[in-house]
Amino acid sequence: MQKHAIETCGLTRRFGARLAVDDLNLSAPDAGVYGFLGPNGAGKTTTIRMLLGLIRPDAGEVRLFGAPLAAGRLSLMRMAGALVETPSLYPHLTGRENLEVTRRALNAPRGLIDEALGVVKLTQDADRRVREYSMGMRQRLGLALALLNKPRLLVLDEPTNGLDPAGIHEMRDLIRRLPSEFGATVFLSSHLLSEVEQIASHIGIIHQGRLLFQGTLAELQAQRQEHLIVGVKQPDQAVRCLTDAGWSARSRDDGLLTVSATSHDDAARINSLLVNQRLEVFHIALAQATLEDIFLTLTNGRSEARRAA
Amino acid sequence: MILIRVLHAETLKLKRTLAFRMIFVAPLLVATLQFFAIWKQHRPGANFNLWETMPKGTLGIWAVFMLPLLITLETALINGVEHGEKQWKHIFALPIPRYAVYIAKLLIAQTLAAASTLVLCALTVLVGLSLTRLRPELSHAGAIPYVWILKYGAFVWLAAWLIISIHTWVSVRWPGFALALGTGIGGTFFAIFAASAGMGKYYPWLLPVNVLSVERFAAALSLGVVGGVIAAVIGCVEFVRRDVV
Repeated sequence: MQKHAIETCGLTRRFGARLAVDDLNLSAPDAGVYGFLGPNGAGKTTTIRMLLGLIRPDAGEVRLFGAPLAAGRLSLMRMAGALVETPSLYPHLTGRENLEVTRRALNAPRGLIDEALGVVKLTQDADRRVREYSMGMRQRLGLALALLNKPRLLVLDEPTNGLDPAGIHEMRDLIRRLPSEFGATVFLSSHLLSEVEQIASHIGIIHQGRLLFQGTLAELQAQRQEHLIVGVKQPDQAVRCLTDAGWSARSRDDGLLTVSATSHDDAARINSLLVNQRLEVFHIALAQATLEDIFLTLTNGRSEARRAA
Repeated sequence: MILIRVLHAETLKLKRTLAFRMIFVAPLLVATLQFFAIWKQHRPGANFNLWETMPKGTLGIWAVFMLPLLITLETALINGVEHGEKQWKHIFALPIPRYAVYIAKLLIAQTLAAASTLVLCALTVLVGLSLTRLRPELSHAGAIPYVWILKYGAFVWLAAWLIISIHTWVSVRWPGFALALGTGIGGTFFAIFAASAGMGKYYPWLLPVNVLSVERFAAALSLGVVGGVIAAVIGCVEFVRRDVV
């Protein structure tokens, strides 16, 4: 049986009338990188705050390494490091002093500061005040704070937010190295599929507080199905026409339509249908869904189901 | 042990802030004011005794005005550093009991207030000695009342525990200097009106100065200490139970 670094059972949290996290059952294996994916406002940060004991769930339970968080938060947090949203830094202190504050609180050996600075490549700038740091440097120092105690579990909430492309690349490389070089399990939240698919071995997709998919990247990719890409000069009318005829169709950002159809016969039928409605078809082709299509299908499907309910 | 570790970490956070400098600046202002007030006095009355009058006056100004403002500023600095970049979420995710963080912050505020009061006691003696040199007619005042100065300095500090607890809770609970400073300035300003009222002996911001009055001494000291402990426990419980959203 596979060991889990994180397990949640029926995790639920409301803010007033709004259900932020709804009956969430996560299982992040004790190895590799778990990508926790969802659009903004999906419930990722609320979930992470419950995983770290920052907020209490209304219902359900969090288990870290098999032990319930509610029963032993302090001992479990000794095995965890976290970077939640923006890094929590004291701008009037230097990078090294910021690490020293946490080191003193944890009673960790002094040598860990240089080690953490080395991992995030901040040794050269360690004695500069944090208010002089760039966004990327602050983010790396935030990661060094999370790594200071050599955690078995590293929880990172949107760690590339606000970084420039070079910073994103650097942070991604760093996160990718953590499981192999430090033996840490990384739980990483992001709203960018492209980011998660480059780093994560396991993925969970959350939308409107509910978990829509959980499994390995390969299992998510196996959900790829062929579909039809249709180009019509009147896309809105075409979507209505196809939906009325029982096809699942949606507009894409590039103006083309994606239709859930998988054969040449379907393509011919759809073409006839649109042409008979005097719609001008200029492109029709079968294609395989990208991960982004799967993600959008999962999240849009959930939104539509909610609206229908 | 955990508390000592957290205290050790908390002191580093105050590096390069005004917190340590204010320990000296605040009493220096009061001592300077007292020095010039007496030095410029043209003809002290025949019954004027420097060591009977000056320490009480200095501690009075300190207790009614400067100490409450110092506590306001120090607690706002100690806890304000946690609000700027939402440091609470990092602190609460560490394997440290929340109560230890709250108690450490409260103890630091109490220590800074005590240290500053002690500096004032030393400056009171220094001001007295300087005046006896500069104004020979004041030199018949007798022995320096070291014990009285230290004892009443300690009483003023103990009676201030309640406002230290109130200010610690306010500045931990709400971000920004505005509310913390508003509470302190408002509390100190209202003390001017509360002083003459009968209920003034229970008014938190008047407790430090009330220990200098024979009639109000016992109530001020007990309310300051006991009220301070109760307010600290209530603030700590609220802090421990709070969600960090």
